[in-house]
Amino acid sequence: MELLSNLASPIVIGILMGGLYVVIALGLSLVFGVMKVINVAHGDLVIFGSYMAYAALTTLGLNPLWWILPSLPLFFILGYLIEKYLLNRAAKISPDAALIIAFGLALIVQNASQIIWTPQTRSLITDFTMTTFKVGRVYIPLVYVLDFVAALVVMVVVRQFLQRTYLGQAITAASQDRQTAELMGINPSRVYQVAFGIAMALASIAGIFYGLTFSFYPSSGPALLIIAFGVIILGGLGSMVGTFIGGMIFGLSQTLGGYFFGPTGQLLVPFLMVLLVLTIRPQGLFGR
Amino acid sequence: MRKYSLLGTLIVITVLAALLPVIGAPKTWLLYLFYFYVFLAAANMWNLLAGFSGLLALCPAAFIGLGGYTMTILTWWGIQYYIGIIVGGVVAALFAMLISMSVFRMKGVYFAIGTLVLPAILKLVFLRWKPVGGDFEGGGAGYMVKGVRAIPPEVTYWLALGIGLASMVLILIILRSKFGLGLAAIRDNDISAASSGINVFGLKLSSFIIAALVMGVVGGIFYMNNGYIEPNNAFDINWLMIVLLATVIGGKGLEWGPLFGTVIVVALRFQLARYAGISLLIQGLILVVIMLVAPQGIVGLIRDLRKKFMNQQNKKLPSSS
Repeated sequence: MELLSNLASPIVIGILMGGLYVVIALGLSLVFGVMKVINVAHGDLVIFGSYMAYAALTTLGLNPLWWILPSLPLFFILGYLIEKYLLNRAAKISPDAALIIAFGLALIVQNASQIIWTPQTRSLITDFTMTTFKVGRVYIPLVYVLDFVAALVVMVVVRQFLQRTYLGQAITAASQDRQTAELMGINPSRVYQVAFGIAMALASIAGIFYGLTFSFYPSSGPALLIIAFGVIILGGLGSMVGTFIGGMIFGLSQTLGGYFFGPTGQLLVPFLMVLLVLTIRPQGLFGR
Repeated sequence: MRKYSLLGTLIVITVLAALLPVIGAPKTWLLYLFYFYVFLAAANMWNLLAGFSGLLALCPAAFIGLGGYTMTILTWWGIQYYIGIIVGGVVAALFAMLISMSVFRMKGVYFAIGTLVLPAILKLVFLRWKPVGGDFEGGGAGYMVKGVRAIPPEVTYWLALGIGLASMVLILIILRSKFGLGLAAIRDNDISAASSGINVFGLKLSSFIIAALVMGVVGGIFYMNNGYIEPNNAFDINWLMIVLLATVIGGKGLEWGPLFGTVIVVALRFQLARYAGISLLIQGLILVVIMLVAPQGIVGLIRDLRKKFMNQQNKKLPSSS
């Protein structure tokens, strides 16, 4: 009984934090599902999203949650252009070329952030950053709840978009079978550009909520990338529901690992799980 | 004939490079060259994996870090550094063997992701594990390499030169052997290679282990010169960046690619050392531009230009006659 009540806190926090990981991983999952490219710049783009929110907060005094609205079109356009002028050309050269271009992009974004905002640690501090409330014996910070709500909203919106709109269906079709989609009159280049634009917008949202929850610095990106990979691998590449459950599993194993094995267990346990899943079931727990 | 001239050039350059510390070359030159040799060896091995064996292994930091840690820990047990460097290579190779049971079940993207996670796991392990030393060493605090002051700087330089040369010779030998032919067949089409009797799994595994061995030795030499090792540096993604940049800028899958690429990476690193951010930013830009303009890197570009030039010459010949 004592153990159970002690475990309540890591379990609740783990699930809520899993929501944040879901948002971070969704953009990566979408790009892989549609374009079959591992966008290794994703983590750095997420942190770039945090920095843009930080810039809006410090220069305009804009609340990060309001910054979501203007950042979505901004990042969408940015992603659209990156796909159109960089990745699209790379994909024609070889599959490895796209990966290497993404590496170059990661270097550029990371170091541009470092030059503009210095290597100092930053965080998005607002009036609700320190707010916590108590449920039973568990103290829950408000930002963690926001992370989880954001995950649910983003999941539902992206799912509805993919299922209900023409463009969304085209993206789904192109991800399932590119050649058949082309025969059905879908322009794959345009689909890829839109998909990458959406992934960038998702990176921006992820960056905003990451910045609200944790402090960040220019080289936080690669660690986030590995976490996002972990989430996707646990859930299965390209599966949306899988990504959601993967995020929960990752968050839970992180907090429970921390509870049982101390601070280094926090990431060690989920990473070992990722390696185990990759070995036994490479397509992920929910992948087909 | 051509074979001998190549061998001769290599020997002459090596002898000249080896004499540099004796004739009193400036210390900064020796430092640049040290980095050049070490990065060259790592990049050559990554080229063997990603360029020739079709293994997009994103884990050079795992091998290099393990080699460095093994060498460092052994000096704490009073074992000489040169033995430690070799043992470091062996440990990295054993780790590659062990981990291949897991990662070699993955294909393509999954292999890349699986190998990317390895250095992250090792970093966490070494942040926690304290094999030697007291409360103030190990873990996040890292270890000093014991007795590093007693090692003359020219010995460190020669060791680096040795591993750089060895990696180059190894690549040249591998590519001219049956092993290299098998790898080329796999790279072009692994299914048809398998059907013509090539042991695809065996060859890939061998090049994975060879690369791990050399990278482990590289790690030992690098951290011996560094005098200090800690997990966040040893298992950093930076190692991947260095080998990837050097290989791709020079020409991935071309035997002389890493040589040219490493020159550029080291030059940029030191020319812009004061502005670390800008240096990496420029390297990122070069990476993107090279990939779009000349996917085969500088060596590929030179080769294509030469071919073009030769073709023009050939066209001119019949018209003039």
